[in-house]
Amino acid sequence: MTRRILISMAACAATLVAQADKKAAAPAAAGADNSFFLRNVTVHPVTGPEVAGGAVLVKDGKIAEVGAKLVAPKGVKVVEGKGLHVWPGMINSATQLGLQEISSIRETVDTGEIGTFNPQLRPLIAVNPESEHLPVTRANGITSAMTMPASGGGGGSRSAGTSPLIPGHVSLMHLDGWTWEEMEIKRNAALMIQFPTIETRTFNFMEFTAGRTAFTEAKRFYDRRVKELNDYFDQARNYQKAKAVARPDFRIDLAFEAMLPVLDGKLPVIIPAPDERTIKGAIEFIEKQKLKGILANIGRPGTALELIKAKNIPVIIGESTDLPEQEDDAYDKNYARAADLHKAGIKFAFGTFDTQFARNLPFQAGIAAGYGLPPAEAVKAVTINAAEIWGIAGEYGSIEKGKWADLILTDGDLLEHKTSVKQMWIKGRAVSLENKHTKMYEKYLARP
Amino acid sequence: MRGLVTFVFALTPILGQAPPPVVAIRNARIVTVSGPAMAKGTVVVRNGLITEVGENVPAPADAWVVDGEGLTVYPGLVDAMGSIGIPEAAPAAAGGFSGGGGGRNAAGALPAPNQAGLPARGPEDRPLTSTWVRAADLVRGNERRVEALRNSGFTSAVSFPTGGIFTGQGAVINLAGENSSRMVLDNSAGQFVTLARGGFTAFPGSLMGTLAYIRQVFLDADHYKKAKELYAKAPQGLERPAYDRALEGVLESKRFLMPAVRGYEIDRMIRFAKEMGVPTMFYGLHEGYKAAPLLAKSGSTALVSLKWPEGARDRDPDDVDSMKDLELRENAPSTPAALAKAGVKFALYSDGSESVSRNIRRAIQKGLSTDDALRALTLTPAEIYGVADRIGSIEKGKIANLVVVKGDLFAERPQIQHVFVDGVRYDPPPPAAAAKPEVTQ
Repeated sequence: MTRRILISMAACAATLVAQADKKAAAPAAAGADNSFFLRNVTVHPVTGPEVAGGAVLVKDGKIAEVGAKLVAPKGVKVVEGKGLHVWPGMINSATQLGLQEISSIRETVDTGEIGTFNPQLRPLIAVNPESEHLPVTRANGITSAMTMPASGGGGGSRSAGTSPLIPGHVSLMHLDGWTWEEMEIKRNAALMIQFPTIETRTFNFMEFTAGRTAFTEAKRFYDRRVKELNDYFDQARNYQKAKAVARPDFRIDLAFEAMLPVLDGKLPVIIPAPDERTIKGAIEFIEKQKLKGILANIGRPGTALELIKAKNIPVIIGESTDLPEQEDDAYDKNYARAADLHKAGIKFAFGTFDTQFARNLPFQAGIAAGYGLPPAEAVKAVTINAAEIWGIAGEYGSIEKGKWADLILTDGDLLEHKTSVKQMWIKGRAVSLENKHTKMYEKYLARP
Repeated sequence: MRGLVTFVFALTPILGQAPPPVVAIRNARIVTVSGPAMAKGTVVVRNGLITEVGENVPAPADAWVVDGEGLTVYPGLVDAMGSIGIPEAAPAAAGGFSGGGGGRNAAGALPAPNQAGLPARGPEDRPLTSTWVRAADLVRGNERRVEALRNSGFTSAVSFPTGGIFTGQGAVINLAGENSSRMVLDNSAGQFVTLARGGFTAFPGSLMGTLAYIRQVFLDADHYKKAKELYAKAPQGLERPAYDRALEGVLESKRFLMPAVRGYEIDRMIRFAKEMGVPTMFYGLHEGYKAAPLLAKSGSTALVSLKWPEGARDRDPDDVDSMKDLELRENAPSTPAALAKAGVKFALYSDGSESVSRNIRRAIQKGLSTDDALRALTLTPAEIYGVADRIGSIEKGKIANLVVVKGDLFAERPQIQHVFVDGVRYDPPPPAAAAKPEVTQ
């Protein structure tokens, strides 16, 4: 009897906690309920066929069972999913979430560090768990994100000798937690390399006019930067050798230490490469240094697509909802890029490459699906593909037994703009979908 | 004896230079421009003037005789717009003289502050305005571009101050002599106008602001003129109109040169000029091939830049040109032919082109007749600026500005033998030595 009362009290408490959660929008408390049974729902495992009228059992934050004929175990909270769909939580593969709040207010921007080589930097540690962008991004079904240091440095200008070649690592994190430690998925997910580009276009902000520099000069500068980058890697390898020899006068260098997993090919490098030439240059560099590579934000790949495929390098696609940059480009050039990569047989994931609009990730996938990418592939590009590229596919990215329960419950297709997210779980814990936008909505709705 | 001394003094230039020798070019083909060409004729030059032209003119006994066998005499060419002779005024490559339709600040100059030392905040601060500056007061014969241009057959140029929106008053100059006193033919050739902007911090910060400013200046000038007239009639009991040097400069301008390169800019400027009601000429005109009927219908005068648009040098091989740019590059040289066909009055200006003669030939290849080309480089600019009574053709009494060419002026490599400016002979270096660019930027 007492026991039954206790159980019902516990159930009550769980409900209360869930309600409190909803009210306060606070990160899930440690030890909160992370087991539940979701039933009568269309399950989209992503790695397998969808299951209509299916169920998902979550135990201690992990997916315990998935299927059509499951029965709710006793004592487990039941979530009714009638008419709804469950998907893996989406992964945004390129953001600066948590590092920057308002880009034009310097005090809220913590994306970059001075210096050309900063491999020891891990952005996760700088992430502000209180960022308003986190709940806003969550509300669209994104449970985790890659966050990266600034790529431009000194604005990419030739004069800026300090513009970084290695701005730091990129980190993977959940979009919920009291501290960055609680948010962590992978502190070092890849080493970011800001590979040089040959830039002949200049811009005079005083007169607000565009200009040009000579190609020869731009090329010379590019060659110098590429050499600088290669030299740094060579130095790091020397350090590695010296460490192995371990003479008594050997001294630890934190920057070179951070390079070691990269040199061993255990950790990939991620290189933004906006055009064909830079892609080829970056691949040449990856080959030369024998690295594991990821390319990012490829704008005008041209014939380099075949090369990317031949070398089996995955790609993070950005800018896919942007307007074409040249006036004679086809209007759908950027929309169709994902389909082009798919046709070429290249593995890719989507990233928004920004902070304020990180929530637009599903729209990016939706537009790609509208412009030639098979819908199932579009869904993979925001879930399992991202997990595979970041090396976390054993734990995340699909609804499979044994993986963490990062789940979202929606009222429609993930790729449909109208679809809204009804519930979200991160590691099996219900996460509030309340955010600045919903608060404003409620506030003004209630205006007398 | 006393009479003789006076006579000698009268002939001797004040600067103490020897009078130009008497020259007779005999048995040469003479292209007068104003009349039919002569297959074999003689031109006599005395005291800097053309004293005789004709087929049966004898060479005077005191003349230095040039045997014109195989030579052609043309009127000296007139560069219809630029800043030739004004030191340090070479316009920025991207800037004003090509039309500056994009609204760049011609000289790259920062906007002048207003009287309180702050950036200009409105038309009342008269930003980027120096209407009162006269090119005639600035020109120097030793300016580096003068000789180069003269060596390619130009004997006169129309120069304007650079920098700003209303940059100043132009001058028609001869391309020889040390300074203004010898060079200037007319010190009021017109007011040069660009669509420069004040940048981020100063008015006008946009194209719209610049056009509004130009409109305001014309309205203010009109009001200023009326107020001054009223006051001049009966000053007693009337408030004295405040002196405004910017508006004085506008009122002293016989004509206004306005930029228009692209078709839509030409259309816009034709309407704008009509609205302003001031005598206007348009410059730039690279897309004039599209707007020729429009220019003809409005009776506009056009100054076409010979600096045909080209792809940047030492450019990124991966750069993709837009169709719009490729089309303009291909068709811009057909503008003079289109204007000639439509009956638009037009002149050509060198605009700092590296090879003026090559660029003229490109226009000829695109259908411009050599007669029309020559006219647009001689008599038409002279007419446009009101100096056709003195230069622009080979006629008795006109200033002896001549180009003597072996063969044809528009040949692949024109062999210019002599250039006469005010009757003074200059011999360009032979082509081999002149292999370097004719006009350097």
